[in-house]
Amino acid sequence: MNKHRNNHISPAFYLMVVPVAALFFLLHTVPFLKGIFYSFTNWKGYGSWEFIGFKNFLQFFKDPSIKQAYGFTFQFALSATVLVNVLSLSLACGLNGKIRGKNLLKALYFLPYMLGTLIIGFVFNFIFGNIIPGFGKTAGIPGLSVNILGTSKAWLGVLFVTVWQSMAFNTMIYLSGLQTVDKDIYDAASVDGAVGLQRFIKITFPLIAPFFTINMVLSVKSFLMAFDQIMAMTGGGPGTATTTISMLIYKRGFDGGQFAYQSANAVILFLVVASISVFQLKILEKREAKVN
Amino acid sequence: MKMKKMLAVGLTCSLAAMLAAGCSDSGKTSGKSSDSGVAHLEFFSSKMENVSTMQKLVDKFNNQNTDVEVTLNSPADAGTVLKTRMTKDDLPDIIAYGGDNIYTELTEAGILLDLSDQEVLKTINDSYMQMVYDINGDKAEKAYGIPFAANASGVIYNTDLFQKAGVTIPETWDEFIEVCEKLSAAGIQPFELSFKDSWTILPSWNSLAPATQPEGFLDAKKEGTATFLGTHEEVLEKYSKLVNYAQTDFMGTSYDDGNRSFANGEAAMLINGVWAVPEIKKTNESINLDMFAYPATNDKSKNKVVSGIDVMLMVTNQCKNPEAAKRFVAFMLEPENSQLYINEQFAFSPVEGVVQEDASVAGLAKDIADGKVTDFVDHYYPNGYNLSAILSEFFLNKANGMDESENIAATLKKCDEQYDILNTR
Repeated sequence: MNKHRNNHISPAFYLMVVPVAALFFLLHTVPFLKGIFYSFTNWKGYGSWEFIGFKNFLQFFKDPSIKQAYGFTFQFALSATVLVNVLSLSLACGLNGKIRGKNLLKALYFLPYMLGTLIIGFVFNFIFGNIIPGFGKTAGIPGLSVNILGTSKAWLGVLFVTVWQSMAFNTMIYLSGLQTVDKDIYDAASVDGAVGLQRFIKITFPLIAPFFTINMVLSVKSFLMAFDQIMAMTGGGPGTATTTISMLIYKRGFDGGQFAYQSANAVILFLVVASISVFQLKILEKREAKVN
Repeated sequence: MKMKKMLAVGLTCSLAAMLAAGCSDSGKTSGKSSDSGVAHLEFFSSKMENVSTMQKLVDKFNNQNTDVEVTLNSPADAGTVLKTRMTKDDLPDIIAYGGDNIYTELTEAGILLDLSDQEVLKTINDSYMQMVYDINGDKAEKAYGIPFAANASGVIYNTDLFQKAGVTIPETWDEFIEVCEKLSAAGIQPFELSFKDSWTILPSWNSLAPATQPEGFLDAKKEGTATFLGTHEEVLEKYSKLVNYAQTDFMGTSYDDGNRSFANGEAAMLINGVWAVPEIKKTNESINLDMFAYPATNDKSKNKVVSGIDVMLMVTNQCKNPEAAKRFVAFMLEPENSQLYINEQFAFSPVEGVVQEDASVAGLAKDIADGKVTDFVDHYYPNGYNLSAILSEFFLNKANGMDESENIAATLKKCDEQYDILNTR
């Protein structure tokens, strides 16, 4: 080992890594640390401030709007994660079969991922606000003749759009997972009499378990931080019915002069998301190890 | 698997970090120096919309006054820029800003010159001067700022549809309801409401609340001796009644869609401000529309036009040449220049004798000239008070068929709770 350490390392490697690391630190880590710093102050986003210790964090647990935002966000993230993973896994299985026009379909399914979430939000805003009510009125269906985003079911509209868009990326990951499965294993399984659903549960799924893990972690993380689609579609309304944690941080932090307080909220959200992700990885990897 | 794990955790952390990221501001430094006898003044203006008009006026002033050189600075997100510069003690010489809580903060910081002795003050309508005194940090009758332009809100109506239904402009609440009934009977939808954009819920509240709330409510509320519960029931009762005359999907209609429907003659009235008129005309250039003051009560003297100070002019105590700055303020308020501004910006002038003559808002112009105006009450609620979300929930409950009196009580209780959390005085 020692011999290798003294070997000359090409500076090209450093040139590749260092500038990005510096940029990352400057644009990412520094603001992040600043956010943590300000969460211990009473800064309004401007003007003078002083340290107030853990006051922001104590207030956090007493605030009804924060409680509501967390409740909604978890409900939303859970529904979206389950739906996205179930749907994209079945889509991936379908696309992995020997069907015609497979590549065209793949491209089609991947399209939503390439569009910006805000654009998709505005497009669906129009669909929910004009096209569906127009259809509902003509067809005489009262349930469809109003904009769903203006009712207490608004979150279902947002959920639909989120699932529709997020499926693309998860399907891609599952598909690449399915392609790693050796054909011989299926042949062996069919000799043993495992077909259809049984083959999927006993053979396919365990083999793509690592891909399931990564998809679950990424889904939960991104849905707990849902922002763009809410911003574009409901602005957190009607009332505060679709206000996610990120939405609350943005609204109250920038418009409401609660910069420091909402920084504390962001720090807590970070801890929540990070610990959920680590927890998920632990559990799911243990399961992976067992089946492998 | 190690790699994937690291990737997942890394991505998780980095995206969470984005949320916690702070904002940074770029305060612009002003170059003030007195060389060769010319006074350089920085004129800081908060509205991006009026840059071209302001520049015209500044150029005109500079041409007339060879000893002064005014430079217009109109940055994006002016409020943040101004507050940042305030903390850096780097103030512009002259400020143009709306009459809201930022002005109150400026007066409290004691950085504005008292302009009460200025000759030009005599030409300003008393109701607007009263608004200035009301938002002074110390409530003193001092002119730390002089109103330059006003906006207004009320009811926008389609004159053709009114004629078709044979109704005239209502002046009392009862007449208002009668008009709605007659329009409905004639097969015309009375209101188009756009509550999906929840800020459009506020104009009605801003008209109803000042006319019906008890005398001195706003101050008492600030001191914690008054509550919305027990005083604002009438506001919500009346508001809820009007909503019955709107389209079915009032909760799901956006501001743009609402304006479009109104422009296409699908409804007779909109409840909003003068700023909506250009938007409506974008869809239908030839629509015949006008505005009238919101008839909030049966007492005609109480039904006023809601009008706030959109732009007011201030001179800071860091100004190197206060005499020249005051000359600039007086110049801006000359009737001719004020007229130019309101014609180009579709605003109203607080200067007596300067009248907005556009037919689309003619119905309000007389009340404003007579000083029959009241300020936007929501400007007096604490910064960050999200009244529109509370009211949006009220109407969502209504749409879901919740009991009216229960809904009103719950909503007003919420109004009080949220106000008290934010009220730090």
